Amino acid sequence: MLNNLPLLSLCWLWPLLAALLLVLIRETEWLKRWLLLAALIELLLTLLVVWQFNPADAGWQLQEQRLWISSLNIHYQLAVDGISVGFLPATALLTLMVVLAGWHAEPRLPRLHFGLLLALQAATVGVFIATDLVLFFVFWELTLPPIALLIGLWGQGSERLFAASLYTLTMLAGGVLLLFAIVLLAINHADLHQGALSFSLPDLLATPLTLARQHWLFGLLFLGFAVKAPLPPFHSWLPVVAMQGPTQLTAVLLGLKLGLYGLIRFAIPLAPQAAEQHSDALAVLGVVTLVYAALLALRQTNLRSLLAYASISHVGLVLLALAAFNQQAMQGAVMQLLNFALIAASLMLLAGMLYQRFGSNDLLHLGGLAKPLPRMATLFFALVFAGLGIPGSSGFVAELLMLLGIAQDFPVLAAVVLFSALLAAAYWLNYLQQAFWGPLKQPALAATGDLLPNEAALLSIALLLILLGGLLPQLLLTTQAPAIAAWLQLIKL
Amino acid sequence: MMAQLLVLIPLLPLLAAVLLALLQLAGRMNGDGAEKVTAAIAVSAMALSSLAASTVLIAGWLHPERLEVHHYGNWLAIGNWQIAFQLGGGLFNLSLAALFALLLLIVMRFSVNYMHREAGFHRLFALLSLLAAAMLLLVLSANAVFTFIGWEFAGLCSYSLIAYAYERPTAAHNATRVFITNRIGDGGFLLAIALAMVWLESSDWQVINQHASDLDKVDVTILALCLALAALVKSVQLPFTPWLLRAMEGPTPSSAVFYGGVMIHAGVFLLIQNQLLLQQAPLVMTLLTVSGALTALYSYWSGLSQTDIKTAQAFATSGQLGLMFISCGLGYWQLASWHLAAHAVVRCYLLLTAPSVMHNTAAQPVRPVALWLSRCRWGFLLSLQRGWLEETMDWIWVRPLSRIAKDMLSIEHKLVAPLLAAPAPLIRRIASIAEQEEQKIGARLHNDSDVFAQGSGLAGKLTQWAAAVSQRFEYQFILYGIGRDSIRFGRKLGHAANRIEQLLLQPRYITLFVLISLLIVLGS
Repeated sequence: MLNNLPLLSLCWLWPLLAALLLVLIRETEWLKRWLLLAALIELLLTLLVVWQFNPADAGWQLQEQRLWISSLNIHYQLAVDGISVGFLPATALLTLMVVLAGWHAEPRLPRLHFGLLLALQAATVGVFIATDLVLFFVFWELTLPPIALLIGLWGQGSERLFAASLYTLTMLAGGVLLLFAIVLLAINHADLHQGALSFSLPDLLATPLTLARQHWLFGLLFLGFAVKAPLPPFHSWLPVVAMQGPTQLTAVLLGLKLGLYGLIRFAIPLAPQAAEQHSDALAVLGVVTLVYAALLALRQTNLRSLLAYASISHVGLVLLALAAFNQQAMQGAVMQLLNFALIAASLMLLAGMLYQRFGSNDLLHLGGLAKPLPRMATLFFALVFAGLGIPGSSGFVAELLMLLGIAQDFPVLAAVVLFSALLAAAYWLNYLQQAFWGPLKQPALAATGDLLPNEAALLSIALLLILLGGLLPQLLLTTQAPAIAAWLQLIKL
Repeated sequence: MMAQLLVLIPLLPLLAAVLLALLQLAGRMNGDGAEKVTAAIAVSAMALSSLAASTVLIAGWLHPERLEVHHYGNWLAIGNWQIAFQLGGGLFNLSLAALFALLLLIVMRFSVNYMHREAGFHRLFALLSLLAAAMLLLVLSANAVFTFIGWEFAGLCSYSLIAYAYERPTAAHNATRVFITNRIGDGGFLLAIALAMVWLESSDWQVINQHASDLDKVDVTILALCLALAALVKSVQLPFTPWLLRAMEGPTPSSAVFYGGVMIHAGVFLLIQNQLLLQQAPLVMTLLTVSGALTALYSYWSGLSQTDIKTAQAFATSGQLGLMFISCGLGYWQLASWHLAAHAVVRCYLLLTAPSVMHNTAAQPVRPVALWLSRCRWGFLLSLQRGWLEETMDWIWVRPLSRIAKDMLSIEHKLVAPLLAAPAPLIRRIASIAEQEEQKIGARLHNDSDVFAQGSGLAGKLTQWAAAVSQRFEYQFILYGIGRDSIRFGRKLGHAANRIEQLLLQPRYITLFVLISLLIVLGS
């Protein structure tokens, strides 16, 4: 019975359905419970996908295909492979954590708020499973309205409307580039197949592309995804959104790096020779991002903007690893993308919990919190050290693999990576020291309670998974290995 | 049998640490009553571990031919690269494990009474147990990655114990600073692992050392240099010596075990472990000798004027470590290893007795510095100021870096952010104009006499509003804005160019350019 179930369709349809059903519920308490139930069921569905997934197979699995728009030969086509399958439970788990973190908050317009969260989840899952480029583009653009509305309506800062419009305009600009790239691909396919258009990723991967066209295509796709990733100089929306937006949403934005996923899934495999030729430029951009954002993070006093810059710095590291084009670096990069969902997102949620209690994430107002809030301090330290790549955490495995991969192709840049690790220790430990240690700055606020059981529980789940990834990394790495090997084969051809 | 015993040595303290941490997080460990439980868990785990270590050592002595590396399985395997969990090694590793385990046991037993009723009693025992696990893994692991894991955890424990009294700002600041300094060495270690993986396709210590001679001369030197950097930082050689003084902030037992007996020797251990590799790189050996000699002199000179017992001990430690580095650099590995073991015992004892020395001599005045030193004014000052070493390092590294970070921030705000947010002021202005126009139109709409401005119905009003906004837009931006703004913009650009030129001529950027071009030359 399970084999006949359109599992992947369910994965993105269920959150939408659950969002629509919210209309039927009147009381806020029950809305929350329904939201939690929906998130749990989604997690189960994605875990079912992982269970059905055969890790030894490098190809597309659990495929679903139906003709959607026949005149343009656009299909409703879903599938997962070893690279994308991990992102489904990551998305579901992150949403569940976001829901739990907001359990005690009473948002305005709760029905709309919860509905948008679920809609965002549906669109994000869609991005990870769509293998028809038009369908992918639709999901990609559908992530925009929920995010913009969530920032604009529930943002924390006074400039939330500005942040929302900045985000919208930036993403629309990036989207246009992607659309051009998709049209270019379809036209190329038509040229070679007697005018037959195709938007299916497996088809397009098999279609040869002249080098000149590859350069155009890679440029368009790279720029389109760089805006979302974000890579400098298009990154300045992220700190603004992190400061102005609601922490629950920014946790999702920091946790799921759709832009980098797009680079791995579409930009590099579709224009392999162009990517290979530009690998030095990519590596340099990666290194510049890594160091530049780390230096900026050094000057931040607000936890949320610090997290934004730290995350940009890590994006640079992943880009550098991608540019190395070898198995170790790629496995590390994909693992690091999954780590974001656990580490960066958890830290952002913690920032939200801190904000709920003190009304600030700024060092100006925080100090000596370890004494009144021991549980929060412990979890915060653990997560920060996981982010710094201390052994035993999945961060260590990902960074070690990336370092090993980078050292093969760019040994000098490996030294720069380690220098930026030094900077990372500096900005994180400095923040920790000033916020949690030293004398208590605002004794009046010390009475605010420590983490509540559900808050501590959700962060502990993340921490346990981080630990599992660090102690037994083979569990995850073997799932990805065949697909990544196939991915590399595609490029080296 | 041996394999199981060997794995128990680091595992037992690790289990104790995890158990203690969990009990404490669950809120079960509070107050005096729980102290006995905590102490019992930590001390008995450590005693068993120490027993296991001694057994393994004795077995190794009796049957040296049976000494081998035990393989427990792959931790990571990608392509043809494997990182395996392996324990074992020569008699040197086993003896150090037995010695360190014994010292740790003694310090733990000492802490049971010494730390009685101190805040953080339970935390101390959890961290000491974790340190024991880390150090024993460090000396027993036959794979560089696992040695690094022990290395890093030892650093983490040291960080947590320096910040033992975290309410005190100095303790907190020192902990942060020590950890960041140690990260330099960690970077060297990681780079060495990565390079060994790339060049030798293995991270086993045995393979690295045996195949070092196959490598290119330059490659061996780089590899040895990375490991030497790790050792220099961890064992407080110049120019990293000042972190030791900051680290003395922790409670006495932790100082004894970290900076007297056990952890501080990790660097020397790393050198002795890799003697075959280092011997291929005479340049690095010279560097070790020079650095060791300078450290010994520096520590002696600075130690002359110290009046505080812990600081004096710290300088004595770094001086002794300097002597060990000299022996290593000259190739007297045997001497260095005996020196290491002897110094560990003596320094641990001296630091443990430091509080009672202080207690017994509390009323006595401090002995003045030697007469010859007080006469030599600059020498005395140099000694008192500890050679201005930390200030110099700050001046060379920390300050320029933080200034560059500041410059980057202004670039971010003045150049990069406007690039993306260019339409933002436009949006804002349009929004405010729209508001104004709305008000204007709204005012007119109530005025019945003005028929011209009146639109009828929704569509009419929308058209009216749009017309007003676009008229205003045209007027403000196209006609008015561009003409005047372009002149101002040009002038601003000129100023910016001047500023950039000024900035680029500053020493930190010149240094940066030199560094970058060096990197490029090295890379190509």
